[in-house]
Amino acid sequence: MPAEHIVKSYDEELQRLSKMIVEMGGLAESQLAAAIEAVQERDTELAARVIEDDAKVDQLERELDNLAIRLLALRQPMARDLREIFVALKIASDLERICDYCANVAKRSIALAQSPPVQATHALPRMAQFALLLVKDVIDAYVEHDADKALDVWNRDEELDEMYSSLFREFLTYMMEDPRNIGTCTHLLFMAKNIERIGDHATNIAENLYFLVHGTPLTRARPKGDNSSLQVVAADHPGKR
Amino acid sequence: MISPAARPLPSEPRPSDLVGADLGAKPPNRPVTAPPIAPVRRNPSPDGATAPTPAPAVKVEIRNVNFFYGKFHALHDISLPLYDRRVTAFIGPSGCGKSTLLRILNRIYELYPNQTATGQVLLDGTDILAPGLDVNRLRAKIGMVFQKPTPFPMSIYDNIAFGVGLYEKLPKSELDDRVESALRRAALWEEVKDKLRFSGLSLSGGQQQRLCIARAVAVEPEVLLLDEPASALDPLSTQRIEELIEELKADYCIAIVTHNMQQAARSSDYTAFLYLGELIEFDETETMFTHPKAKRTEDYITGRFG
Amino acid sequence: MDLYMRRRLINHLVIGLSMLATAFGLLWLALVLGTLLVNGVSAITPSLFAQMTPPPGSSGGLLNAIVGSLMMTAIATLIGTPTGILAGTFLAEYARASRLGEVVRFINDILLSAPSIIVGLFVYEAIVVHVGHFSAWAGSIALAIIMIPVVVRTTEDMLRLVPDTLREAAAALGAPKWKIIVMVAYRAAVQGMLTGVLLALARISGETAPLLFTALNNQFWSLNLDAPMANLPVVIFQFAMSPYADWQTLAWGGALLITAAILLLNISARLLASWSSFKQ
Repeated sequence: MPAEHIVKSYDEELQRLSKMIVEMGGLAESQLAAAIEAVQERDTELAARVIEDDAKVDQLERELDNLAIRLLALRQPMARDLREIFVALKIASDLERICDYCANVAKRSIALAQSPPVQATHALPRMAQFALLLVKDVIDAYVEHDADKALDVWNRDEELDEMYSSLFREFLTYMMEDPRNIGTCTHLLFMAKNIERIGDHATNIAENLYFLVHGTPLTRARPKGDNSSLQVVAADHPGKR
Repeated sequence: MISPAARPLPSEPRPSDLVGADLGAKPPNRPVTAPPIAPVRRNPSPDGATAPTPAPAVKVEIRNVNFFYGKFHALHDISLPLYDRRVTAFIGPSGCGKSTLLRILNRIYELYPNQTATGQVLLDGTDILAPGLDVNRLRAKIGMVFQKPTPFPMSIYDNIAFGVGLYEKLPKSELDDRVESALRRAALWEEVKDKLRFSGLSLSGGQQQRLCIARAVAVEPEVLLLDEPASALDPLSTQRIEELIEELKADYCIAIVTHNMQQAARSSDYTAFLYLGELIEFDETETMFTHPKAKRTEDYITGRFG
Repeated sequence: MDLYMRRRLINHLVIGLSMLATAFGLLWLALVLGTLLVNGVSAITPSLFAQMTPPPGSSGGLLNAIVGSLMMTAIATLIGTPTGILAGTFLAEYARASRLGEVVRFINDILLSAPSIIVGLFVYEAIVVHVGHFSAWAGSIALAIIMIPVVVRTTEDMLRLVPDTLREAAAALGAPKWKIIVMVAYRAAVQGMLTGVLLALARISGETAPLLFTALNNQFWSLNLDAPMANLPVVIFQFAMSPYADWQTLAWGGALLITAAILLLNISARLLASWSSFKQ
């Protein structure tokens, strides 16, 4: 297919849109990596920077929205072009949410750093690294417009969900063993939930990318591995007293 | 002040109730077969427009049509259906044969020497390309509106009465009614009802084109062919014509040739994309413009060539 | 000198030459009209329109000549207009690209520029000799033969000017070909066709040579179409060449009359053309 539009400026604008997504994706990756490090190293300064930088992503999303609206109004995009713009809008929204979650994790890591270190903390970064890989892979897939890579990410989220379920149970156990852990573990629980949500947004991005490439939406039901909402603690569970 | 989140809502079970409860099972005190949850209806549509549209019938079927300008093979083996009460658009770059195809449908190419068409065009099952057919009667059944507005050098009334008088002998009052209804259908009645005796040439471009449309519908055709009807008009007139097509769709099978893709996208239900005399793709307009099947179609509609 | 100045100079030069040429042409026109007026106005008296051509020496008028000219021109128009229009219609609507059409057009163009004396001789040979005497019929026919090519040409040209889109629009409504021609094409071209007829009329009203061989002339009042009939051009010819002063005066009067008539016809043709474009 001839790659270029007859009107060159149209191509340039579409490329700018693409670049903005990639930039936002890069920011999401770095935010998540920094948040993980802030948790592991108990680095409150790094955490503060993560929180600050969230504003940059918000700004980028607003710019992208403007560009997309402009393209829709002025260029009357059709078919593939229309899908590109539509999908860019949705992916930007997902990426912005991912960065919000990173900021949330960073915020809670500051609270965690106030209390003495807890063993439970170690489990979280592993899950977060997995989520980081999901985000990285889905952004790579977007750059290459590779629907198969996107499908792969889409499937791997199940594993992340399972990690979250097991972390949920682990944190419950820690809390029941020693009530002094409750504060820290609650924070950790929320952070784990945020990371699980990051994975979900990554799968949204994957679904949108599939739609962009194939023109039809991904209608299969996503395999879900998160059964924490069904988790029950028996009344006679032997807790540590 | 207690923040709202802290207060348990009366209908929700208290946290202490949860321990020991089997959350995996159905919630207690509910009937075994719960009725489905009805969606909240806001501003229900007045005519309950959720009835499914009936599948369209084929009004005109074009089968293996080839067309020649002298020795030049202009259309190659075209086959496609035109559905009744739907608008079908022919799009494609200049010289692709869309106007040629349209002009086959009412055999108007026969006015000129050295132009021949082969194949079949079935109107309700009858082949209209067959020799021995009364071509003039055919043209009264298949109306056509051209790119350039062509009012006859007569009064507005006579313009419309001309077509009607060709095959019907109507008393004056009936003829008046026919003229009025045609002008109303063309959204022109209000503007010209006081000047029916004025020459058709005294109207503006958009009005003249609507006059031509009124003229075409006055003879009560079954099919309407529109050859770039709005390309000579300003944007406002164009929109009026598009609105008109929308209204006329309810009664006629309409085929429209347009080089304006946005117009095809807005006005038509089905689109045929032609290129160099060949039918590249024929599909519902929505599919054609959101995810077309052929690469060439996508290239054309996204402005990568043509 | 620079380019701009040179171009301005050439511009002025050529404009000057064009104006001179125009003046030159107008000069002769003015002289002709002036001479006609000066010499002819004295002959314009009521008796010009009341009395017959007199024998030399007595006073008289041109009534029989005027009436004769009018009659023959009218008959020629009655013969020539329908023939010309129908032939022109054939060429424009049925024979646009055909061989026959090309041949007819070619012959028509030849006839259009044929010397009118040839036409007169032909009619003399064909009709006058066989019948045995001069007649107004022969004169009318000769005039008609001169008129037809003009009407054919203008009719065809005017019909060709009607855009084909108009014909297609009529055809698309289901109109048969003859209705398209009569109700649409003719109506669109009617002003042009009428102008053509008027111009042809103007042309034949002044033709002398064909009438010399066909209608000849008649000193007396006669409405008999089978006999020679008086007509203005031949009368002028005869009277102007004579040595009699009163005949010469009458000749000048006749010449002025014909010129006025042709002028009137041309002005009407123009008015008709401009009125039609105004209406559009």
